[in-house]
Amino acid sequence: MSAVALRNLAARKLRTLLTSLAIVLGVMMVAGTYILTDTIDSSFERIFTQSNQGVDAVVKTKQAVETDDGTVPPFDASVLHRVERSPGVAVAAGVIADPQVSIIDSDGEPIGGMGAPSFGFSTGPERFDPLTYVEGGPPQADAEIVIDKATADAEGFELGDAIEVAGKAEASEYELAGIATLGEVDSFGGATLALLTLPEAQRITGKRGQFDQITIAADEQTTPEQLTASLSDSLPKTVQAETGEEDVQSQREDIGVFLGFLQTALLVFAGVALFVAAFLIFNTFSITVAQRTREFAMLRTLGAGRRQIIAAVVLEALVIGLLASVLGLAAGIGFSPAVGALFGGVGIDLPTSGTIIELRTVIVSLVIGTAIAVLSALLPALRATRVPPVQGLREGAVLETPRERGRRNVAGVVLSALGLAAMLLGLFGVLSPGELWLGIGAIAVFIGVALLSPRLVTPMASVIGRPLERLRGIPGRIARENAIRNPGRTAVTAAALMIGLALVSFVAIFASGLRSSIEGAIDKTIVGDLFIANSDGFSDIPVGVTDAVAEIDGVATVSPTRYTQNEVEGTEGGGYLTLVDPETAPDVLTLDWEQGSQEVLGELGASEAVIDEKWGTDNGFSVGDEFTARTVSGEELELTVSGTFTDTTDYIGDYAASDANAAAYGEERNATSVLVNLAAGSDAAAVRSEIEAAVGERFPTIETQDQQQLKDSIGEQLNTLLGVVYALLFLAVIVSLFGIVNTLALSIHERTRELGLLRAVGTSRSQVRRIVRYEAVITALIGAVLGLALGVVFAVVVSRPLADEGFVLSIPVPTLIALLALAVLAGVLAAIGPARRASRLDVLQALSYE
Amino acid sequence: MNPLSADHTNSAAIVSARGLRRDFGEGEAAVRALDDVSVDLPKGRFTAIMGPSGSGKSTLMHVLAGLDRPTAGTITIDGTELGPLNDAELTRLRRDKLGFVFQFFNLLPVLTAEENILLPLKLAGREADQERKSTLIDAVGLGDRLSHRPAELSGGQQQRVAIARALLSEPAVVFADEPTGNLDTTSSGEVLALLRRAVDEFGQTVAMVTHDPQAAASADRVLVLVDGRIVSDEPARDADQVQSLMRPSAIS
Ligand SMILES: Nc1ncnc2c1ncn2[C@@H]1O[C@H](COP(=O)(O)OP(=O)(O)OP(=O)(O)O)[C@@H](O)[C@H]1O
Ligand SMILES: [Mg+2]
Repeated sequence: MSAVALRNLAARKLRTLLTSLAIVLGVMMVAGTYILTDTIDSSFERIFTQSNQGVDAVVKTKQAVETDDGTVPPFDASVLHRVERSPGVAVAAGVIADPQVSIIDSDGEPIGGMGAPSFGFSTGPERFDPLTYVEGGPPQADAEIVIDKATADAEGFELGDAIEVAGKAEASEYELAGIATLGEVDSFGGATLALLTLPEAQRITGKRGQFDQITIAADEQTTPEQLTASLSDSLPKTVQAETGEEDVQSQREDIGVFLGFLQTALLVFAGVALFVAAFLIFNTFSITVAQRTREFAMLRTLGAGRRQIIAAVVLEALVIGLLASVLGLAAGIGFSPAVGALFGGVGIDLPTSGTIIELRTVIVSLVIGTAIAVLSALLPALRATRVPPVQGLREGAVLETPRERGRRNVAGVVLSALGLAAMLLGLFGVLSPGELWLGIGAIAVFIGVALLSPRLVTPMASVIGRPLERLRGIPGRIARENAIRNPGRTAVTAAALMIGLALVSFVAIFASGLRSSIEGAIDKTIVGDLFIANSDGFSDIPVGVTDAVAEIDGVATVSPTRYTQNEVEGTEGGGYLTLVDPETAPDVLTLDWEQGSQEVLGELGASEAVIDEKWGTDNGFSVGDEFTARTVSGEELELTVSGTFTDTTDYIGDYAASDANAAAYGEERNATSVLVNLAAGSDAAAVRSEIEAAVGERFPTIETQDQQQLKDSIGEQLNTLLGVVYALLFLAVIVSLFGIVNTLALSIHERTRELGLLRAVGTSRSQVRRIVRYEAVITALIGAVLGLALGVVFAVVVSRPLADEGFVLSIPVPTLIALLALAVLAGVLAAIGPARRASRLDVLQALSYE
Repeated sequence: MNPLSADHTNSAAIVSARGLRRDFGEGEAAVRALDDVSVDLPKGRFTAIMGPSGSGKSTLMHVLAGLDRPTAGTITIDGTELGPLNDAELTRLRRDKLGFVFQFFNLLPVLTAEENILLPLKLAGREADQERKSTLIDAVGLGDRLSHRPAELSGGQQQRVAIARALLSEPAVVFADEPTGNLDTTSSGEVLALLRRAVDEFGQTVAMVTHDPQAAASADRVLVLVDGRIVSDEPARDADQVQSLMRPSAIS
């Protein structure tokens, strides 16, 4: 008997471990997310604080428009004189601080991953210099440069080397005069730093006669607050003064927008994993509580109250939840750099020095992990104790009456329907915020389908199991029967996997639709032969590229486009638009006209715009109307609508206007892309290599692509993003695998005597393993089929609002088949442990097992 | 005393055990469940194994059937010595050469009666001999119950299904551990009659552990175990005779 008890305990230990692992993983993601974003935030704060040492106040262009990156255009250098004349100013220096000054490596390619800025700074008075020179010193002449130590180390640059730098003017070479760090901060998270003299920094960034910032130290009698107050009175309205500390905070806030987005995104993935974990706990407790129904019934006949028994079960969940949360928190500390590395791996480098664990991280992690465990165990506990003691004492007491089953099915249908409705209402903006309702709807659908799935298990197991049975004989048959013995159990186990796979397949389907829509739009819109843009895929390139390309033989048309942000009066802020060159644009861009034609584009006046039809409808603008655009430089432009077009992929943005306004939009130096048409009869390949050689020499940040390459590189970017999403969803799938392992382990424990009998009558160990493995595969496939079906439904639903913008849904059949194969593999993997245990059972002990 | 006399081994022994010892546990708690047991099961005979509780009946059966390994001694079944066989080989031997009937829990609840009967053959990937199958099903008298699950069958019916399973592959020997221990008199009678027919009509060899003298009386021969030793080995005549074999006076 003690052997039996010990075995029981061992089985319990395994179950406890598996159950808690699910929570550990979920909490790990929650904790890791907070730790990662807190660490990035504090790293940036240190960088900003260090950079602003000795700075009492800064003057910058006033932010006129909410932009995604928070950068502001430069202002006129004459402001410096007015600052210097202000009372309380001891020292003031004009500064260039530009995030698009690339250091070029020995292969002629700009250094740095995507997302990480490549800073170009100008030298100033020593008191403002935040740098520590590890070698050499600040640049003394226009031909000298200082770069950061991380970059110098990575590229093997040494003092005296010639360093090529590219900004908005043509690339130049400088002599490396110093290598520096920013105080204690050793990592900028992939960012590079180039320090030049002020005139040279102004020249290479295309900001002659301008500053990005004026850095000010107050005299001894003036506080920073008094200084900024007096500056604000004396400065033009387009600029603003902030104390050094305020400046650090506002820079942090700009980063904070991005970090907040990152945090939310990662927490969503953590939420998915926890949701799956909840299924697992619910299932585990359902099974073990069912196994203990008789024990509970006996306790109750002995006088234990219902509450006492519920409390006992909940206490168990509480302990598991709490322990798992603590472990998850600890694991989160390791997970945070792993996610950082994941982003780094796809080129998004973020600075992470140290590990910041806020109290909030600890509290949220512990509370969420414990609460999920307790809540998930509550229902099984309630259900088990509802069985009348006398009935519970009988063997094989059924916990669910037919009436309950009927009610559950109805609830499943209702919940699924309500969920879908919530998703649609959220998508079409009836309920807001849309993303929230989309999420709530999806959760409801998942729960609804999970409630319905016990009904689906038997027919699905028959369909899936039949070929197995045909091919694999009796082990396949027994596996299939085992899978449908407790449809509820198999259903919840499968539903956990369903969630992960539904999301994976949804993302795959949606991305595939997005990709084909983008490719379709490129085919239709970009009719130019060549497409020149920054090799990082999104930074600006110098507009000077246009003239350089125009000089090459065989080039017929060169047309720069500028994609930028503004605020249109009466609309939501931060809208995008494209500035085009009307003279050349019709040759390289074809818009999908609703009203108007290519001629309208060709004759676009400085005070005219052609608009996205949908944007116009949403905001009440149509042909002939006027709207007011406020630019990042704070200027206001009155534009008259002269045509409308459909823009499926938001390639143009809300509207297109003439680049005669480039300066007003703060974009005179920049181009987002330059489109090129070749002269009839010229050799495309030859022209391309000419552009790459001659123009690429002068502007090393550019990359020239033909239409196919452009499509490929967009596809690649999409795939990279998909990779990150898959990696994060993978954790949810792992959690659901634990669910399969757990269910199998519990079922095997329950079927010990059957296994003993099977072995006694001649079932070989490998046949026993097969029985377990096939059951796992059947369960996994049920989850996968349900998941893929839901993924398709979600993709169809979510793409509804995009359909009238021309979004074409395309189902990536090979990917879905691969997912099914993956599910089979997952089932096989999950079965390894339980199958081994089942096959190693001692026949005699198993037979005498009570 | 070695009660193994020549007149019980005159027909060829299909199972033959020599010097079986089986010890459980160590030190103080050590139990010798079998103590120098030698026994032959002759082909085509029905042997009953009796003895007080804890005397080692089940242990003997398990060891003979290769479900458990003896601490010492040798067993030969149908010419194969069990000692050198590994787990896979023993499993194959059980599947192909042995039939089992246990007291409880003989059938896989997820399979129908027919599937349970065919289980060992299916496991071996063999087809059933249709003639033998239908003869057996007739003999067992479950023709109309074949597609039922064990839960829908009475205890006696379940045991009969188990016996049909044990007999289908024409095993060298059928081991039954208290097959009637859980049944009422009528059902017991049916099960015993079935085993008897297997021996008489199909020429099967059967070894049955039982507590019930009535049951043992339907065998050809009764072995009595006490404290892991065979203390009596007599032909079975009737319940009273068997009862007398079990009396302490007879045993000591
Ligand atoms: N796995 C084991 N571990 C330890 N001791 C065991 C084990 N199996 C059997 N024994 C001991 O061996 C002896 C013989 O047991 P066995 O089960 O063979 O008796 P039995 O004659 O079948 O009894 P019953 O009529 O009660 O079924 C008993 O003392 C028992 O306690
Ligand atoms: Mg026994």
